[in-house]
Amino acid sequence: MDLLWQTAVNASYAASYMALIAVGLVMIFGVMGVINFAHGELYMVGAYCVVFLYAQESFPFLLAVAAGLVFVGMVGLVMERTMFRPLRDNPLAGLIASIGFLLILQTLAVFGFGRRMGHVPPSTQGKLEILGAVLTYQRLFVIVAAVLLLAALWTFLRRSKFGRALRACAQDAEAASLQGISMNQTARIAMFIGAALAGVAGALTAPLVSPTPYIGHSIIVTAFIIIIVGGVGSLEGAVIAAVLYAFVHTFVTTFFDGVIANIVGLALMLAVLVVRPTGLFGAKERA
Amino acid sequence: MAALAQRFGRGPQGSRVNPQNERPILEARGLTRRFGGLVAVNDFSFSVRAGAIHGLIGPNGAGKTTTFNVISGFYAPTAGQVFFRGLDISGRKTSALAAMGLVRTFQGSTLFQEFSVLDNVRVGRHLGARAGFFRRLLGADRRSEEKADAQAQETLAFFGLEDLADEPVSNLPHGHQRMLGLAVALAAEPEVLLLDEPFTGMNPEETGRMMTLVQGIRDRGVTVMLVEHDMRAVMNLCDVITVMNFGALLVEGPPEVVRNDPAVIEAYLGSATADGAGDAA
Amino acid sequence: MPEPTGATPGPGTGRRIRRIAWQLRVVFLFAALAVLPYLLSYSQQEIAVLLVINVLLVSSYRLLTLTGEWSLGHVVIMGVGAYASALLTKRLGVPVPLSMLLGASMAAATAAILSFPLFRMKGFYFLIGSFAAGEIIRLIWKRFTDPFGGPKGLKRIDPFPDIDTGFLSIDFYEPVNYYFLALIVVSASLFVLYRIERSRIGLTFHAIHWQDRLAESVGVDTFRYRTLAFVIASFFAGIAGGLYAHYVGAVNPTRFSVDQMVYVLVWAIVGGTATFYGPILGVVVLTVINEIVLRALGLDTARPLIYGAILILSVLYLPNGLESLGPRLRTRWQRWRSGSAAGRREAA
Repeated sequence: MDLLWQTAVNASYAASYMALIAVGLVMIFGVMGVINFAHGELYMVGAYCVVFLYAQESFPFLLAVAAGLVFVGMVGLVMERTMFRPLRDNPLAGLIASIGFLLILQTLAVFGFGRRMGHVPPSTQGKLEILGAVLTYQRLFVIVAAVLLLAALWTFLRRSKFGRALRACAQDAEAASLQGISMNQTARIAMFIGAALAGVAGALTAPLVSPTPYIGHSIIVTAFIIIIVGGVGSLEGAVIAAVLYAFVHTFVTTFFDGVIANIVGLALMLAVLVVRPTGLFGAKERA
Repeated sequence: MAALAQRFGRGPQGSRVNPQNERPILEARGLTRRFGGLVAVNDFSFSVRAGAIHGLIGPNGAGKTTTFNVISGFYAPTAGQVFFRGLDISGRKTSALAAMGLVRTFQGSTLFQEFSVLDNVRVGRHLGARAGFFRRLLGADRRSEEKADAQAQETLAFFGLEDLADEPVSNLPHGHQRMLGLAVALAAEPEVLLLDEPFTGMNPEETGRMMTLVQGIRDRGVTVMLVEHDMRAVMNLCDVITVMNFGALLVEGPPEVVRNDPAVIEAYLGSATADGAGDAA
Repeated sequence: MPEPTGATPGPGTGRRIRRIAWQLRVVFLFAALAVLPYLLSYSQQEIAVLLVINVLLVSSYRLLTLTGEWSLGHVVIMGVGAYASALLTKRLGVPVPLSMLLGASMAAATAAILSFPLFRMKGFYFLIGSFAAGEIIRLIWKRFTDPFGGPKGLKRIDPFPDIDTGFLSIDFYEPVNYYFLALIVVSASLFVLYRIERSRIGLTFHAIHWQDRLAESVGVDTFRYRTLAFVIASFFAGIAGGLYAHYVGAVNPTRFSVDQMVYVLVWAIVGGTATFYGPILGVVVLTVINEIVLRALGLDTARPLIYGAILILSVLYLPNGLESLGPRLRTRWQRWRSGSAAGRREAA
């Protein structure tokens, strides 16, 4: 019973950062129709921002996280301008270009920090005990930040003009542009937010995962599973699927092992694709 | 031409032209298709006599195209059945239906645009040029392929396209592309040919040519069913017309009956005759 | 059209001349390929062996793309051939050439089974689905030490048996000899792939790519043909896997990861997939750049970066691949020539 409860607490932590990554990926896909294969590397870059600023240069942790968010958002803007905008009509080409970008980011990380794991000391030492389960402040911090960021994003998308434009572009880019919504502007904002969410997830979890330049691989696999199960193009679906997947994965990892958990996750995704090629929560077909 | 007739019509002695045989060649019973909450086709029934040119008309959104897509196997019916030669074919795959002799065309110039004219028709001969994998690999399919090519040439000649055989499709004028679409379908040796808006977007001259071709196809023993907006063409060409409205059957009968039916005139809002309505649509 | 008179060669003669020219080119190509290894250093010979294997890998991949579907699992399928062939020799003592064929059949069978879930999807979903399926296979190799050897994989795989008939003895441990072996196997495989594409099967693959609904309406069972393309492509990827396993002598799950798949994508895209030779051009040019230029410049660690940049640039600026350069240059040359001729006429 204790183990079950503890696993559930661990799963909540995993769900938090996975939701940030998946929501970002869905956002990029929703507006640009491109699957960003380099999304895992954006996470990795966010993590290395913390390695550099916090672990090496001893800036405050929060500042390093904020810098990671902004920096990775800017990387997203670069990707939008150089690749996704010229390739807007060709989703497969956009995806393949993002694979190229992934290789570039990986190599730059190797150049800057080497192939080995970056060590990031914890920013806080304390831990919380909830009904017998242990939750370190470091992990709690990820949960709180994820909830706050996603709530802020949700409010932003509901309330602001940009939010409406974003949703309009996601539904029908042509109709949106006829209504005077700038596709380029909307794509920039979506790309910045989408990339920044991946970056902040990497920055927040850097002390917990020991980043390597190749960490993006497992991240992108996770993100794919989540967005497929959540229905590509649905932000709410991505959050729900992130929670679902985090629980399944954490429990299978605890009671069997990590590789089996990955196999289960991939099989889950394949099953969803077979039964409903648009995902569990996705309404209509895209791409 | 006799050879052509034999191939297109599966033989002039085919029993389906026999007037004693009253069983329809194609029939729908209680056909229903829903998309979420929308009922596109609602308890719709019709029957097509062998050897007929049968029109399916109705105002925009009446469910004609959905009906076509269900008959030709792109959608499975939500309820009801489709019978072809007395066999229940509801929900079978399009390719399986083509193999049975039920072939459809598409709106506009849906063709293999990247291929030559001849290669389009060669793909149409898919079913008639069967050979095993290893025969193809070893080139042992040469004789059957040569035969298929000759037949493809013949089909092109029927449409007057034989001189354009090696042209890329994208170089063809629109009217020729439409005829090629028909040629591809005919190359599959249909017993029943479903034509999706064969006259839409054509000028009167092209329409006239196309009508002659459709009659020519019927005279070779192929039953034709078509969805069309061009009311004049439908009225002049079809033996029987089925009118749909709101996904259901409105009227069925010969053109002169349908033309003057008040319900049909009512459906095509405000027009005095169905002819005028067609032009408005 | 008037009949050609005796002075001008008829169309039959023209065809014969073209045919002879083509045959001459093939003879010349094989002569060059036969001489090539003797001009290379030992380590370059080893690279040449891998290059020949990769030519088969990327050519088989192109066959799959003919139907319009891009897979991310092709390298894993190659791995199935490699693992199967290695295990058959290690565990069951199957002699090597036979084990390669059986391994390739195993890869083809895997594809046949996978096509049931995967070909319910199209386009992007197929891409992701094939990625998931490939990862599952790879994780199974990683997880189950018995028989797959776990993360370390299989080592000391039996080499290709030496031929020793008294007057002729060939030791396939020598890269030169293995190069010729691979060259023969790959050439035969390419010939088969070429025949398939030129037959009605290839026509049908293309038809499915461009208009699957129209193809379906004239009786093409698109599921069956997509499966056929996938199975054939996987068989030859399996052959490539077998050639690899018995040359290198070791396989592991990382060797068949998605990173390796990225290279296959790069070769295919940079070369172009519209023609049979496009992907071959891609793999040859990039391997030469990679192994000769980059190595000479000491840029080994920058290799993924450069590959990434090439991938992006070619998607952006050369979307039809290297294969499109030849015809493009030719038309430009002709335009330039006719343009300058017109200029001369104007001047006169």
